Amino acid sequence: MSLTVKRYIVAVLALFLLAALLVVAQQESKRHRQEEGLEAVVTAANKSCVECHRTDSAALTMEWERSSHAKYGVGCYDCHKAEEGDVDAWTHEGALISALVTPLDCARCHAREYEEFNHSHHSKAGHILASLDNVLAEKAAGMPDNKADAINGCWQCHGTIVKFLHDENGEILTTGKENKPVIDPATWPNSGMGRLNPDGSAGSCHACHSRHSFEPKISRSPENCGKCHMGPDHPQIEIYNESKHGIAFHANRDIMALDKEGDWILGRDYSAAPTCATCHMSGYVTTQGVVEGNNHDVGNRISWTLRPKVSHKLNRVVYEDGYKEDYPDSRELPAVGDVVETVDKVVEDYELVSRKVDRTVARIVTWQERRAEMKGACKNCHNDTYVDNFYWQFDELVDLYNEKFGIPSKRMMDELVADGILNPAAPFEKHVQWVYWELWHHEGRRARHGASMMGPDYTHWHGMYEVSKHFYEKFLPAAIEAAEETSHALGVKWQRKIDLLLTQPEHVWQKGLSAEEAEALQREYEERYDQ
Amino acid sequence: MSENERTYKPPRGGFRRRFDELVPVDWSKLAEAGDEPIPHHIKKWWFCLGGTPLILFVIQVLTGALLAFHYVPAADQAYDSVARITTEVRFGWFIRSLHKWSSNLMIVAVMFHMLRVYFTRAYRHPRQLNWIAGLGLLMLTLVFGFTGYSLVYEQLSYWGATVATNLANTVPLVGPVLADLLRGGPEIGPQTLTRLFALHAGLLPILTTLLIVFHVFFIRTHGVTEMEFKGEEVPEERRYFRFFPDHVMTEMIIALFVLYLLTVVSLIFPAHMGPRANPAVTPAHIKPEWYFYFQFRLLKLTSLQISVALTGLLGGLMLFWPFIDGWLEERTKHVDKIVTFVGAAFFLLFLAFTIWEASAA
Repeated sequence: MSLTVKRYIVAVLALFLLAALLVVAQQESKRHRQEEGLEAVVTAANKSCVECHRTDSAALTMEWERSSHAKYGVGCYDCHKAEEGDVDAWTHEGALISALVTPLDCARCHAREYEEFNHSHHSKAGHILASLDNVLAEKAAGMPDNKADAINGCWQCHGTIVKFLHDENGEILTTGKENKPVIDPATWPNSGMGRLNPDGSAGSCHACHSRHSFEPKISRSPENCGKCHMGPDHPQIEIYNESKHGIAFHANRDIMALDKEGDWILGRDYSAAPTCATCHMSGYVTTQGVVEGNNHDVGNRISWTLRPKVSHKLNRVVYEDGYKEDYPDSRELPAVGDVVETVDKVVEDYELVSRKVDRTVARIVTWQERRAEMKGACKNCHNDTYVDNFYWQFDELVDLYNEKFGIPSKRMMDELVADGILNPAAPFEKHVQWVYWELWHHEGRRARHGASMMGPDYTHWHGMYEVSKHFYEKFLPAAIEAAEETSHALGVKWQRKIDLLLTQPEHVWQKGLSAEEAEALQREYEERYDQ
Repeated sequence: MSENERTYKPPRGGFRRRFDELVPVDWSKLAEAGDEPIPHHIKKWWFCLGGTPLILFVIQVLTGALLAFHYVPAADQAYDSVARITTEVRFGWFIRSLHKWSSNLMIVAVMFHMLRVYFTRAYRHPRQLNWIAGLGLLMLTLVFGFTGYSLVYEQLSYWGATVATNLANTVPLVGPVLADLLRGGPEIGPQTLTRLFALHAGLLPILTTLLIVFHVFFIRTHGVTEMEFKGEEVPEERRYFRFFPDHVMTEMIIALFVLYLLTVVSLIFPAHMGPRANPAVTPAHIKPEWYFYFQFRLLKLTSLQISVALTGLLGGLMLFWPFIDGWLEERTKHVDKIVTFVGAAFFLLFLAFTIWEASAA
């Protein structure tokens, strides 16, 4: 081979090498774009899905393309793939899939988050199906064959049992040439927090982590929680917006690092304000300078339950299998190692049934420990005295509600039942029952929640003011009215009982203020308003 | 006038003169030494295989240095750092893939070069020492491969290292010491990785460089073995050609082709990550890299001790082969045939065992 020929070969090979290196550069640039989230990583398993759905449901695909999932090559099939035998599965374009993505599907990658969520209060939100709230939606607002209020209302937050339509032989109905199972339209779409899924799992990750972009900024935003935690019976988002925390958040939203990938740590990644997630589940820097706290069990740091007729501090029993149970401080705690009979709520034949399960106690978390965990978040910004004194103020308000209104009104309702005035099987038969319902379930909660999250107006005007006004003006007269309706003798008895109650020191103010107090009031109005 | 001023000579003349004063080397003699007359048969491609491992070694040193910028030789961080190189570092995947494929190709190239030397019996007197040096380079290349693969610290490489150090442990006398020295104790532990890294990125490159210098120096001083082929009469004036630029151009073609091949293979089959090393879980199928398949199959067919003994025997045969060849030469006229037969038989056995192991689950 002559030197000239060799030179030509060198030139040709150099060109080939250059071309190959250009491909390397192009690959690197593509990888870089994918890393920056500018380009989705479409793996072989998801290629055909993306190709069709780019036109079939263009915006949905675009949403996925800008998600972190797309960045790491987690695509349609990775979440929607089904196992042989899954009731909701069908073969779509050659792939066995399911429309419904459950927490168990997410757990394939997010195992820790699943475990934490699965034992949380959130995952049990579907148990509301057996509650007075549901009775009101299904019965009071509904008709025997129309549960539209429950479907569109309660269940959209709490979740429902996802059902399929069956033929007369009990087989699931299918539709289309792919034999897609027909889902009961009353039960899906539903992204309720405690949705009861066909695979036996409870919950919907999508409730907080909106598909298909799964943007952290959505799940970290208070508005996300506000979809459900709002309204007359639990106005958490309104209270938050009224609080200094909410004000600071809205003013500083752009420096909250809501879009940060991975951990989102108070005291490290942001500082301007706490959101719901910050206080109830996110990681924070402790006073020892380490990161702690990140947990998908939103109830971990809660030391009071503010939802029932009478509030209790909440201890927690954790069992060896991870199952958690809240124990009101009025209930005696078991010892570590004890075997305790617990109750699981499971779906059988589309019905929520209770099943007794013996579990061994692994550890006890006291309400003080739970509060200490919450205080860990507070102490990122506030000193010990500030935090302790806040809790003093909050505790005092809950005690006030309990002692002046919560406990007495509950006792009176129990006595009305004992006297045969109220029928416990007819929870909304009499006026007093409606009044009492709103007294604790709406106004009483508003007052307690208001105090828990530093919302002064919700604590007082939407809370304790309403509680006291309706206690004196509606509840007490309605109790006498119900007794009178039953018999005149009972009417007289209840009139006397309530007259006696009003002679108690906390109620005598109604009969008149002291001379000094009355004069001070008169003077203030004259000086201020000339009236 | 002080002593210093008397001996000081101010620089004069142009750049070239000043440079020659700074670097007192006779460049013309060096050029002459480098510009070796090359025998005509080297124009045949299979006689150029010796340069290929050198080209690959240079690629390995360069890519290896780049990888070392990001690699962390600690048991708890090694895997993550390799994963970072593969997924995050700019061009990291490409450099790692080049390094991986180049190491495989280097073993192939060394083997091919050795086969050529063997079948042409170029190891004969006076080149016995260079054959031994070449054998040393083959060993170093294999140890490079083993240590490098172990550094990834994925499940298979971890267990590969476990098997290999157990093998080393069985070598009589030096085995246990060698194995303990490699592992930093009786078990593979956090120290092992540091040692493997020190070997892979420190000691082995130095030893290899020294041995390559020795190897090339001996080629230059002995001269390349002159070969004549049947039916190929080369006129006297064409018996030799020049190192510059003719042979250099040949090597350039090989270098460019190798680079092109590596780039394309790295693009099509980029290095990926296996599962993270888990000392608690033995994988169902442990497999070393392909170049140890022969050894591994031997181990499976015999026992730990016998396979080590057989390997030792084989190593000894290879080491002393030039002398055995000389001994045969004095006794028979059919050395050529014997050498070809022994070589072919062993190579076929090597291939068969390798393929057998590759196809085994």
